[in-house]
Amino acid sequence: MSDVSAFWPAFGRGFRVMLPLWPGMVPFAVAYAVTARAGGLSVWETCLMSLTVFAGASQFAAAGQFVAGGLPGVAGALALVGTTFVLNARHMLYGLSLSRQLPLGGWRRLVGAQFLTDEAYGMVIVAGPRDPGGLGVAFLLGAELSLYLVWNAATLLGSLAGAVLPDPAVLGVGVIFPLAFLGLLVPLLDNRVSVLVAVTSGLGAWELGRVLPGGVVVLLAGVSGALLGAWLVTRRAGAQGRA
Amino acid sequence: MSGWLVILLMWAVTYPVRLLGLSLGRLDLPPFWLAFLKFVPVSVFAALVMPDVLGSPEWPRRLVAAGVGGALMWRTRNLGLGILGGFAAYWAARLLGV
Repeated sequence: MSDVSAFWPAFGRGFRVMLPLWPGMVPFAVAYAVTARAGGLSVWETCLMSLTVFAGASQFAAAGQFVAGGLPGVAGALALVGTTFVLNARHMLYGLSLSRQLPLGGWRRLVGAQFLTDEAYGMVIVAGPRDPGGLGVAFLLGAELSLYLVWNAATLLGSLAGAVLPDPAVLGVGVIFPLAFLGLLVPLLDNRVSVLVAVTSGLGAWELGRVLPGGVVVLLAGVSGALLGAWLVTRRAGAQGRA
Repeated sequence: MSGWLVILLMWAVTYPVRLLGLSLGRLDLPPFWLAFLKFVPVSVFAALVMPDVLGSPEWPRRLVAAGVGGALMWRTRNLGLGILGGFAAYWAARLLGV
């Protein structure tokens, strides 16, 4: 970032790369806000959660719990915080993967960490290297803040205006997220090991998804699939080394 | 417990995890773990897609959407077009009663 003039164009490209995901985010943020308000959170608490935690699945889990039982006591709150930790532990995997391609230091790392999501990680790791400026911090921040902006604006809208949009299921927008990740996955399937890893991880996740929450499934299936891939390629490399 | 305190505790277990991953970028890793990290995107994306399609109550429509969207993205390498086409296919399937 020595060259400040190059920051904003790359930031803008990162920002715009997330636009196809916006229609998928808005109804979910509104639905979260409506649920949180119904669970007894004030407008500013509802918004505070989107501003700080910024993780859709665990926000929904928390809001749902408030609706079911009101604001929790100490034991309930600790259980909720534990759930949040488990649901969001997968983000470590994203940071680890991202930091190999894009080492971040100082404030960039502190800021980049706050806004990291499934979608931003996916888009940045795939589209970032193809950006004219390469995979850079400006592109990362643009992508991250694009989602942050729309998620928080829609949270505010939902918490003030209530159910301004029908249920996401009625709109069918739930299909946008799997489509986006499928689009990120397709170009990566350019060799047999990758295809095998994707099939194994996907089927494993489908199976685990029957009994475990989504955030945990992604962590477990993601780690297992990557272990399988690493084992397959290093075993082959080892065999060639011995030959 | 008050709402804002619960929220701050939720933040306190989320942010450090995100930061930890980003802080481990300069570790010197053996080849196995470098290969592991290279497969993380493939593995994670597949794990994000499959349960959301096949595990959904409306899985037949989503399967149609994924088929059309995936094929479009395979041919054009255009993510926006794939999402749009897949979403259109989803609605076509839904209106046709799939």
